[in-house]
Amino acid sequence: MTNTEKLKDLVVDVFLIDPKEFRVDLKREEIETWDSLGVVSLAVGVQETFGHHFTQDEAMGIAGVRDIIKILEARGISFDE
Amino acid sequence: MSSPTIRDLAWLKSIPQSSAVLRASPSVQARVAAELPFPKISCFADIPAATSALIVAGGGRLMDEAKHFRARRRPALGLILVPSIWGSGAESSPIAVLNREGGKEIAVGGEFLPDAVVYWPELLATVSPARARYACGDSWSHALEAFLSPLACDSLRGELATLIREMLRLPLDADPRWFQASARANAFQAKASVGLVHGIAHVLEHPLRAQYPEQEWGHARLCSVFLLPVMNLNRAASPKWAEVAHQHAIDEDAVWRILQRLFEPEAFAAALPLLRENWMKILRDPCTRTNGALIRARYLEEIERQVAA
Repeated sequence: MTNTEKLKDLVVDVFLIDPKEFRVDLKREEIETWDSLGVVSLAVGVQETFGHHFTQDEAMGIAGVRDIIKILEARGISFDE
Repeated sequence: MSSPTIRDLAWLKSIPQSSAVLRASPSVQARVAAELPFPKISCFADIPAATSALIVAGGGRLMDEAKHFRARRRPALGLILVPSIWGSGAESSPIAVLNREGGKEIAVGGEFLPDAVVYWPELLATVSPARARYACGDSWSHALEAFLSPLACDSLRGELATLIREMLRLPLDADPRWFQASARANAFQAKASVGLVHGIAHVLEHPLRAQYPEQEWGHARLCSVFLLPVMNLNRAASPKWAEVAHQHAIDEDAVWRILQRLFEPEAFAAALPLLRENWMKILRDPCTRTNGALIRARYLEEIERQVAA
């Protein structure tokens, strides 16, 4: 499974969306369940899936899927697949 | 937010009878009324305007209703809680969980804390062995889910580890030491939140009671029954339990022995159809969303497999 596929699985599971709704440019405001508890679940899922623990600033600054990718790429996790 | 003052029975008996009223759960009413000759009420709305204190003796549901009534309707009224059983921790928590049409309503705030708590160990004589075990399961679920919660900071996790080690030494029956242990577990979970066990309990309690009215399907029993399957899932889905248990010197085998004693395979199997039916609702429950491991939709199959196991 590629990292993009892993991220898609994660976003679908955390926010309980239809897999067809997933896009790399998906924004937080487009998903009703992307609230403060959604951020907590996302942080748990990112740690389990990619081994990265979001800092508080990182978690607060995430405005969409692209921001998650940027944070993980900065930690050496490639999405160039 | 300050904690309620812990008082004893002698203090409670020293309150002038004319200044307080008493409401007690049916299970302890006779015993409590014999020792505390305050005017009795059967409905909070019946409290006279001149009354300055409300004494409530009973379980978590009645205590939470009293906390909500006082906070919303009579904020100047003193509130003294006398828990008849441990587990809910309602007597020391700033949370009021209310049974409302179709589900639970959860209210949180310092205004829900009582003014005083009286622990009365002799009331435990009214508790059956099964209810005692469920209450232990409720306390264990608070402690373990708070310990694993992503919202628990290191120092809180350290305090929870101390509590867990103490709880491992307590029997799963009506021991008065559970009052304090349960109150601490509840205070910690109020800071750290809980997880999937509570998500399941909140969603399934009403439908299970409706389907099996003759069985005792309350919050505490649900926590007891689902704690082992959920902890098995947490352990399989994430390395977090193994890491924090090791870091805080928790005896994992001893914890699992407790979980196995709390587990009821027949009750678990009976609840599974409703678990399947309500799984998406459980995933959306705020408690599930602060579980120590991410709970994915496909994990329902993992839980179901435990029936066969």
